[in-house]
Amino acid sequence: MNVEALEDDRHHRFVLNMGPQHPSTHGVLRVLLELEGEYAMHLLPVLGYGHRCHEKIAEHKPAKSFMPNTARMDYLGALIYNQGYAQLLEKAAGIEVPQRAEYIRVITAELNRIQSHLLWYGAYLLDLGAFTPIMFAFDDREHILDILEDVTGSRLTYCYHRVGGVSKDIDDKFVSRTRAFIERLRSRYPMYEDLVNGNIILQNRLNNIGELTPELCARYGVTGPLLRGTGVAYDIRRSEPYSVYPEFEFEIPTETKGDCMASFLVRYRELEQSLRIIEQALDKLPEGDFMAAKVPKKLKLPAGDYNSSVEAPRGELSYYLVSGGSDVPYRLKVRTPSYSNLSTVPETCSGMLLSDVVSAMGSLDLVIPEIDR
Amino acid sequence: MDVKQVVKQWNTVATEVAPVDYAVCGYDYDVAVTAGKIHELAEVMLQNGFYLVDLMAVDVKPAIEVVYQFAHVETRCRVMARAFVENNEIPTISDVYQGANWHERETRDFHGVVFVGHPNLEPLILAEEDVDLKPLLKDEKSILDVAAIRRVQPETESAAAKSEASKSQEQS
Repeated sequence: MNVEALEDDRHHRFVLNMGPQHPSTHGVLRVLLELEGEYAMHLLPVLGYGHRCHEKIAEHKPAKSFMPNTARMDYLGALIYNQGYAQLLEKAAGIEVPQRAEYIRVITAELNRIQSHLLWYGAYLLDLGAFTPIMFAFDDREHILDILEDVTGSRLTYCYHRVGGVSKDIDDKFVSRTRAFIERLRSRYPMYEDLVNGNIILQNRLNNIGELTPELCARYGVTGPLLRGTGVAYDIRRSEPYSVYPEFEFEIPTETKGDCMASFLVRYRELEQSLRIIEQALDKLPEGDFMAAKVPKKLKLPAGDYNSSVEAPRGELSYYLVSGGSDVPYRLKVRTPSYSNLSTVPETCSGMLLSDVVSAMGSLDLVIPEIDR
Repeated sequence: MDVKQVVKQWNTVATEVAPVDYAVCGYDYDVAVTAGKIHELAEVMLQNGFYLVDLMAVDVKPAIEVVYQFAHVETRCRVMARAFVENNEIPTISDVYQGANWHERETRDFHGVVFVGHPNLEPLILAEEDVDLKPLLKDEKSILDVAAIRRVQPETESAAAKSEASKSQEQS
């Protein structure tokens, strides 16, 4: 169908609200669609339904006690959000973290990343009309939640990484269960590949849809698997190495086309890279303390501004803290990846078939609470 | 990307360019500009392949400071560009970095900064009826002077400690 010809025919246009409770938006996001038949000519995301004033809260209590809030922004990457915030305060206050704690952080954060990717994998395919994969993905994901529940005490909104280390040491049971999980997930690859990745319907729904370019990503600040899908091997774990990531060998999966299929494959291949990191970390796991000996109860942050960036499952997460010298931050800004990733939608999705809009928005792997904060 | 070349380019638009200790602060350069030059700086950044990480405001005396964070995908070079608003206004950079569009609307919500030339400065995160709420503005009691939130260089810190120590010695 010729979309240009329809462009003039404005009296056929109508506006449709997708959301705030639409299943494929995975949270309370509303998108105003101006439709021309089945084509979405203009899109306008409407945000803020889940705004919980995290940045305002941060300015009103000691910096240390903001840790549980971080997990509630991106509930799927909670441990990575914990890690970024812990690092920020450690940087500012000059606290040394024991090696064992850093290893535990990396292991749990990577488990968290796999869990997030598995949920995306299932939910994305569900959006596209395939019901079965989410059952398999959730089955695998449950194992991670069980492992993490044992050591952290919660299944979703973790508060496990603390300033100076982690709240509880891992034991042999954790190690053996994690090793068993690595085996298990690897044994599932052939099934996933047969069932999903080679599926012709999936190919047709994802190929050449929602193409991004490195140039567009720079203008919008798109990061994470979407940027890597355009051929840019940019990963904060590699470019600004934090924690003990430099000690592990892992690849940064990239694709070149920048479409939905590219980011799909990048995320899928990242599962294996995270497993590799966990495996190496378990092999090298040093003995020692899991918490720094001296963490002051009242954590005074010297005046100045501090930034801490980590690679969250959806892209770059940045905490920026301005301190006036007390233990309460003067200003805390959280840069969340989904926010910048979603802001591309009005440009990239205009003129698309409505069903392709669902493909393209699903490939952004949105978590709405981190957008609204 | 050649960092030295880029620093030269910054120097033509900025009032001050200072390297920062990455190990402590988590970023590499501090670039101060006047509000009028921020658009020009954004163009320089885009030409050199930087992407816009974040845009935010800090409410300090004498005027709200808007902080732009840039980073580069090839070389580690994280930049904080700062500009003070003039009469609560600052030019938009959303025509250079389209990603700034939403960040600027959010800053308008939280601090009431007006971004001149912005195509659609409507409330984004807050509800439409809360347009005058500006929740992140500080009250009279808690607002700090801009000097109070600047990092004291370690050398001067230790020097100050020394002078204090010598003082206490004299007293004893």
